[in-house]
Amino acid sequence: MRIPALCALVAVLVSPLSRPMALGPGRSETAALNSGDRVGATGAIRGRIDVRVTLAPAAARPDPGALSMAAMRDPIDRRKSVVYLDPAPQAAFEASEQRRARMDQRDERFVPHVLAIVAGTWVDFPNDDKTYHNVFSLSKTQEFNLGRYAVGHSKAIRFENPGIVRVFCDIHSHMSAFILVFAHRYFAVTDDEGRYRIDGVPPGTYTVAVWNETVRGDPPRRTVAIGEGGGDVDADFSIK
Amino acid sequence: MNTAHWLVCCLLAQMLPAGPIELARGTVTVGGDVTATFGAKDDTAFFNFTDYENNALRMFRVSLTANWRPSEQFAVVTDIRSEDLERVIPYALYARVRPWKSRPFDIQVGRIPPVFGAFARRSYGTDNPLIGYPLAYQYLTSIRPDAIPATADDLLFMRARGWRATYPVGSPEPAPGVPLISAYRWDTGVEAHATGGVFDFSGAVTVGTLSNPRVTDDNRGRQYSGRVAATPVVGLVLGLSGSRGAFVDRALADAYGTGGRGEFPQDALGMDAEYSRGYWLVRGEAIWNHWHLPVIGAPQITDPLSARSAFVESRYRLGPRYFVAARVDRLTFSKVTGVRLYNGQPTPWDAPVTRVEAGGGVYLQRNLTLRGVIQRNWRDAGRVLDKTYLSAQISFWF
Repeated sequence: MRIPALCALVAVLVSPLSRPMALGPGRSETAALNSGDRVGATGAIRGRIDVRVTLAPAAARPDPGALSMAAMRDPIDRRKSVVYLDPAPQAAFEASEQRRARMDQRDERFVPHVLAIVAGTWVDFPNDDKTYHNVFSLSKTQEFNLGRYAVGHSKAIRFENPGIVRVFCDIHSHMSAFILVFAHRYFAVTDDEGRYRIDGVPPGTYTVAVWNETVRGDPPRRTVAIGEGGGDVDADFSIK
Repeated sequence: MNTAHWLVCCLLAQMLPAGPIELARGTVTVGGDVTATFGAKDDTAFFNFTDYENNALRMFRVSLTANWRPSEQFAVVTDIRSEDLERVIPYALYARVRPWKSRPFDIQVGRIPPVFGAFARRSYGTDNPLIGYPLAYQYLTSIRPDAIPATADDLLFMRARGWRATYPVGSPEPAPGVPLISAYRWDTGVEAHATGGVFDFSGAVTVGTLSNPRVTDDNRGRQYSGRVAATPVVGLVLGLSGSRGAFVDRALADAYGTGGRGEFPQDALGMDAEYSRGYWLVRGEAIWNHWHLPVIGAPQITDPLSARSAFVESRYRLGPRYFVAARVDRLTFSKVTGVRLYNGQPTPWDAPVTRVEAGGGVYLQRNLTLRGVIQRNWRDAGRVLDKTYLSAQISFWF
């Protein structure tokens, strides 16, 4: 092989999904708008994220060497989104309680496919499947490799830094998941109908942003205001 | 590589996706491997040659795989490859049928993966911890199906010349010999696979043999091969394989045989094991192989020509991005006795080879891997008795 071939391969695109995304305290210019350090009535931001994407099966690489038919898998629900405040109220960064979350390995998939946590949370990765798995991530936010472990066993890892962590299985290329690590608690994962609700938001003006795995580039954003008396504020989004 | 190849590489690199491509509402999945291996030229030893011109430690390989699955019980699978952008070869092309939806029983028809052993079914770019191949699957012995030695001396004269063997009987053209099991071509036929408890059963009937897979038949019989594998605990796989099939070219078999079907076969027995846990992966295979050739002239080759091979390989993940790996490999041959060569002493019919390969790699991203290896080979005969190779590889899959 010659050098040009090496250059050509090095030119291979780097997945945009691996780019770090700001899920931390946010930008200073908009932080001035916040009044989250005030104590008083709080409000909620709620709405619906309409993600118009086709449900696609968890695409496994064709494996010509396999001697048997792979099981049909249910489609991954790529409509799951995470809605978050960017930036968040200042008081949001003061909490330091120990948290724990869970991402199962079941039927050769990660459950849930999208997990949102606060920085410092321990995430358990139990293997509830019939085969080995090897959970790992090469994300800039947090690299880790839990190795191969069998059914009934679990390993955990603490996610320290805000950002997006793309999780894979080293054995099953079709297994993938997202862990969004926030520096604050003002976020919510949408339900099956795309609805979300972020409670306990202090009065102030905020930018609500939406993360969805199908969105490339900047996330959709909207500015909302919680009045001094609290109350609910609606913020719907549409992602095509 | 010339300018055209370079342009193709650039174009390909820009077009490569990050994961398998789904088409037709997910019924078609397309994946691929692109592997560029860099190493020094080897014009003398040919330890890693897969045929006349291609060196496994110095190769650009593109593989496109596709799976069309219009229903839960039917699929068409293909794997198209090109080595050094010279030819495009349909490596695999078969239909897979699951007759009963609820039973783990599958039938595959076409150019199918071998059921024997374990290595040949693995994806090279993602599942080979090193760059080189195990000797049993790559090293070219001096045996050919279409040209045969008339005497033991003819055979001994070709020791360590499997990359370009010639014999007085059969095809007069020089051509490469065959490895014990070809990792570069798959055979054509029918195979069945079933799973029951911890056991896995597979059997195949094909037109070629392990060492000489064919699309069209050129011999006087079918090959029958099978494998039983057990997974007593998760992470441990133990396999036992066997095969027997007509090897020698039909014209030669007709001329020097008694006319029986399956005469002059290749038969083989294999054992394989794999164990993984934590950050370790350990694999090993042992293969006992025999080629039965016509007995033509004196000094005669009376016994089947045996070849035995065994290797153990291991990979250890040092961290999320880094791994180290090593393989120890040995290939030996049974003895024949000539008159003119080796003072009439019993001598292995081909030169035994020992290979040790070690290296490491880094995952630049999940599907982009950089590897480097050092490979040392020792051979008991030939122009070059031992040689060390350094090789680097970058591989991308989607």
